[in-house]
Amino acid sequence: MTSWKELLKDEIPAEMGNLIDIYEAQMELRKQGKLDEKVFAESRLRKGVYGQRYDNGQRHDGVQTRELTFPSADIVKGPDTLWDAPGMQRIKIPYGGLTAEQLETLSELADEYSGGILHITTRQDIQLHYVHIDDTPDLMRRLAAVGITTQEACGNSVRNITACSLAGVCHDEVFDVSPYADAMTQFLLGHDDVQDFGRKFKVAFSGCAGHACGLVKMHDLGLLAQSREINGETRRGFTVFVGGGLGTVPHQAKVLADFVTEEELLPLTQAVARVFARLGEKKNRNRARLKFLVAKLGIDEFRELVQEELKIVPPDERHTAYMDSLGAFVYQPAKAGMALNGAALPAGFADWYRSNVYRQAQPGYSTITLHTPLGDFTAEQGFQLADIARRYVGDNIRLSVEQNFVLRWVADADLPSIYRDLDAIGLADSGAGTIVDITSCPGTDTCKLGIASSRGLTAELRTRLIEKINLLPDAVRDLKIKVSGCFNSCGQHHVADIGFFGNSRRSGNHKMPHFQVVLGGQWQENAGSYGLAVGAVPAKSVPDVLEALTERYVAERAADENFQTWVKELGRKEIKVMLQPFTKLPSFEENPAFFSDWGDSRVYTIDDIGVGECAGEVVSLFSMEISRAESTHFEALLALDDGDFATADHHAYKAMVLAARALVRTKYLDVGDDYNVIVQEFRSRFYDTELIYDRFAKGKFARYLFKRHEAAPARVNEDYAHQIIDETQLFIENVHSAEQRINGVIVG
Amino acid sequence: MTKVPKRLGVKFNLKQTPQLQPADILPIFQRWIQEHTVPGMLIDVIDYKHVLEGPGVVLVADEADYAYDLGEGHPGLHYVRKRDLPDSLPAAIRLCFQHALQAARALEAEAPGDLVFDFASAKFSFLDRMRYRNRPSIFAAVQAEVADIVAGIYGAPVEVTRVNDDPRRLFALRARLRDGQINLDEIAGRLSCSPEIA
Repeated sequence: MTSWKELLKDEIPAEMGNLIDIYEAQMELRKQGKLDEKVFAESRLRKGVYGQRYDNGQRHDGVQTRELTFPSADIVKGPDTLWDAPGMQRIKIPYGGLTAEQLETLSELADEYSGGILHITTRQDIQLHYVHIDDTPDLMRRLAAVGITTQEACGNSVRNITACSLAGVCHDEVFDVSPYADAMTQFLLGHDDVQDFGRKFKVAFSGCAGHACGLVKMHDLGLLAQSREINGETRRGFTVFVGGGLGTVPHQAKVLADFVTEEELLPLTQAVARVFARLGEKKNRNRARLKFLVAKLGIDEFRELVQEELKIVPPDERHTAYMDSLGAFVYQPAKAGMALNGAALPAGFADWYRSNVYRQAQPGYSTITLHTPLGDFTAEQGFQLADIARRYVGDNIRLSVEQNFVLRWVADADLPSIYRDLDAIGLADSGAGTIVDITSCPGTDTCKLGIASSRGLTAELRTRLIEKINLLPDAVRDLKIKVSGCFNSCGQHHVADIGFFGNSRRSGNHKMPHFQVVLGGQWQENAGSYGLAVGAVPAKSVPDVLEALTERYVAERAADENFQTWVKELGRKEIKVMLQPFTKLPSFEENPAFFSDWGDSRVYTIDDIGVGECAGEVVSLFSMEISRAESTHFEALLALDDGDFATADHHAYKAMVLAARALVRTKYLDVGDDYNVIVQEFRSRFYDTELIYDRFAKGKFARYLFKRHEAAPARVNEDYAHQIIDETQLFIENVHSAEQRINGVIVG
Repeated sequence: MTKVPKRLGVKFNLKQTPQLQPADILPIFQRWIQEHTVPGMLIDVIDYKHVLEGPGVVLVADEADYAYDLGEGHPGLHYVRKRDLPDSLPAAIRLCFQHALQAARALEAEAPGDLVFDFASAKFSFLDRMRYRNRPSIFAAVQAEVADIVAGIYGAPVEVTRVNDDPRRLFALRARLRDGQINLDEIAGRLSCSPEIA
């Protein structure tokens, strides 16, 4: 075997394989300068292939900004993003559910492509950092072979759909939301109606209103499990929230519908997506999230628009077909449930049991959380964890939004032995869900937008807090800390008791890393309320600020008064006074340590900040879809080079249909995938009306499509393959020209 | 001809746990970027010391990574070549050995007497499961060739063993000098005479 593509061809679902082939062809076109860099950037983002800090070819080394002279210096993978610069691969793990085999494959990939490290994100994804773009197609194929996709993991698309990691085992849930999250993932992935957003779109499911796990109120679309009596029958359904989000300007989601049934769930989601695609901001990406549209229209008008849209959502058997398989979504524990049997317990077990073990709704079973520092684990830990999972829980592995592993369906009698096994691989630290279990975004380590080192601060706070965790009062022990490297909230600082986000201040002639302190956010009740920024302090003062805050909270709180209430009672003015001593900035000469960030010996600078790719470029739907046609045409060329003329014909024909579809979709979004319908719509809308006509060739190029569509060739030889590939190229150019004439804009 | 893996790593373990902490390596690697202490287009330093037996502290370059690696519970210097490997296995191994040796000696110089490497043994990791699945047949196919190549570097016979037999793990070999006496300057001299390195 010579390539992963060849080796895995029988294990990768055809559609997934096809999308990866198209992406690989797009890479080649970009390298040859035949694909617009913005279009390619959005295409690669929609494959989860993301830029990283310094990919503009510049880095400040603490003394001066140096140019990073990558070998393919003149080739870019997006605006100001050099081809050879290391990047990040985001991998979607729907509702955080993993099998042992998938974990092993992820670990293999980390071994080979990302220095042996994997990272769990706050949205239940896995990220691999320092990946070279040339490795990404094979990486995707190896994932696809075990049922994982990176499709639409970044870019202006529906991101990973998240859900409570306790779904299915929780005492308080209305029902298990996992199969619904799974069904929605399948339904929306690659759906025509989610391809033309101005920004990303995040969806979350939660099984209950009270706990935090699902965080539905901070999502573009949040689904909260409910049940209701309808005609004497108890029906499952959801309260639907829309327009939530953190970011620079956090918005609490609004209730779109008190209760929608299982049958209504997917069509309603589709209607929301269509309204967002049609009316959402496209030019100003800072106001392009759904939350801004909901705020602009008001929830009542938005609801009316969605209801109107629902009436014209095309019928789709998938809207309800998923319900037939809900019953098949059952968990297979590796062992029968058994109570703890009184055996001797290992040292450290009691603390771990207190913070990391959740007694499941199912008697005799527990769910355990693996406190995963900074969300990082090694490939070696991944392999060994897969072994542990097989031994104790089977495929019941989840990732949590607190960047931890969760193992479900542990027989209670196995808790001491699984603790020992996890301890041997460094994943049995106690304190999951407590003040030491700090959430952090990547910050300046790898993010182009990072202003301060969120991971450096998190590591420092974690080290200090672990030393004294057993001395902390429960009221402090149970607080949540979350850290972001900038104001964009990837570390979810708004929903922590104590949040920090990075910024910078000047002292003399130097810049000093700072963190803004955000107090009183609510993690419970699905991110029930957001905290308030109360002032910025130097990064190096944050541990002292934390100590001052928690000590005063313990000293002054009324019995059972929680942190949010205490902060509210204390008032912002008094908190400012408390922080005042920490805001005094030393000069560089007095204390140079204040001018370096945590975990970084360089003198601090913000010169490394780049342009974020969080949202991707706003690229028109036509540009995205015509690029697929061009990539497919390129595949036809490759097949011709290989002497595979039948495949060349197949790809050329498909490329023509895709090009026609791209144009049709500028007028008729719901054209679907049926070749007959596409060609018919293309003919009536663009050929019969002569809109597609070239000034000199008239309708000649369109007739290439009609000819091939009406009759497949009796015999395909090299001459024929050459001809149809040439005709396809001409037709694609014709479509490009027509689109410019008709719509006036191609990119952006 | 034996295939060249897509990526190839060489690690030298420390002889004993040093006083120097992994956190102390961060400023050293950051200074190496400023001073171009080791070859390559040096990009950044990453801190993974919080994960158990992980890559520790990594100096990322375009063509290679230099890690103060904590893997397998043995701190050491791990050089991983990620691109531009020569197109023969002997040349690839010699190139990686040379860069790993150079970086390890530079690190020793940062804490003389405390950071002391065991240069009589080297671990070779083949980061390429397409060409090098961790199987007995692969080991049988390359053991003698790798032993010859490494013996050529040391100027003395070596014993080559497989690091682990789990087919999921990376294919990795450990080469150990049969006679523990080595002369690093001679080794460096032999490597610098290699046409692929010069």
